[in-house]
Amino acid sequence: MRGGRVAHRVLEDLGLAPAGHLIIRNGTLVPSDTMLDDDDVIEIRPVVSGG
Amino acid sequence: MSKCRSCRAPAVIDLPRHNANFCAEHLEQLCRRQFRRAVDDFEMFTTEDRILVAVSGGKDSLALWDLLVTEGYDAVGLYIGLGIGRYSDESHVIVDAFARDRDLELITVDLRADHGFDVPTAARVTDRVPCSSCGLSKRHIFDTAAREGGFDVVVTGHNLDDEAAVLFGNALRWDVEYLRRQAPVLPARHGFPRKAKPLVRLTEREMAAWCVIRGIDYVVEECPMAIGNRHHMYKEALAVVEATSPGSTAAFYLGFLERMAPLIAHDEDTDAPAPCRMCGSPSGAADAVCAFCRLADRAGAVQPVPVELVLGRGARRRYVEQWGASALMEGDGHGGS
Ligand code: SF4
Ligand SMILES: [Zn+2]
Ligand SMILES: [Zn+2]
Repeated sequence: MRGGRVAHRVLEDLGLAPAGHLIIRNGTLVPSDTMLDDDDVIEIRPVVSGG
Repeated sequence: MSKCRSCRAPAVIDLPRHNANFCAEHLEQLCRRQFRRAVDDFEMFTTEDRILVAVSGGKDSLALWDLLVTEGYDAVGLYIGLGIGRYSDESHVIVDAFARDRDLELITVDLRADHGFDVPTAARVTDRVPCSSCGLSKRHIFDTAAREGGFDVVVTGHNLDDEAAVLFGNALRWDVEYLRRQAPVLPARHGFPRKAKPLVRLTEREMAAWCVIRGIDYVVEECPMAIGNRHHMYKEALAVVEATSPGSTAAFYLGFLERMAPLIAHDEDTDAPAPCRMCGSPSGAADAVCAFCRLADRAGAVQPVPVELVLGRGARRRYVEQWGASALMEGDGHGGS
């Protein structure tokens, strides 16, 4: 990622619903208006479950 | 950087239905409050009760077990090995570790080892969706374990989004019998234990966040059988409404409980069912065999069917992506039904 981007934009560009995913940056939960940097390690975790 | 609604510290999550952001501490407080409110308002159980909590290894049931014990309830876990390939293997490892790390009592029942069949094989012999034999088996095992272990109540991790999706499906068909039974607590009757769903006021997003902030390791992948099923479709439909109108899902479900459920409630006054001839659990007609024993009998008589063979094309691709191809399937081009 270049020069920092807002997390929910990143999700939207990937076609993912922000409400349906958690963003974990460098091991810590962050809200979807967080600016993400190039060197952040990001996990996008779906929250949906079935059954 | 957004701030917590309660304390103005940096937030860890945004919850659109509350139109607010929360830090870890205040998210935890919110979840505990909603949990207690459900338990108390619906009179689910007290600290005097012995609780059996059904745990699958997913976020909801482990969050529920965590909530129960940290809120001072006496809760023993029940894990059922469903035989759903590597998903089940992984779930078992996760649940075992959760119980061991916290020194909690866990009861384990394995469909294949204890009853001679598994969910994929049951799906194949009944020629129905896997969730129908799976649901039947889980209910039977919950009821039996509760009766044998002297538990007062069986609790499950169904959350607000789950219950809203079920409600949506029932309302689409106007299935009044199912709507009537869609209560967060069902009283014990005729040898069946009381059943309760303490997470009905909490969403999937809140439960997933709970697990992250509480350091709970859970199986993030869904059951492979759930991919593309109806329950999912209803959840997706509600998510579309929720995205433009936050809070709609909660209003739909909680409004149903408050204003609609009382209108369709009536006292069921049925006779006690006779015990099953094979297992003794309440079943139906005198001298009959219950649906679970009939299923075990049929599914136990055939060769085990691997999970890949009962998945649709899309679900099978996802399963292999997530868990890798099993030895049986490698180089097997046709891939079953
Ligand atoms: S999705 Fe279906 S098969 Fe999988 S655990 Fe749930 S009910 Fe069972
Ligand atoms: Zn706070
Ligand atoms: Zn039986």
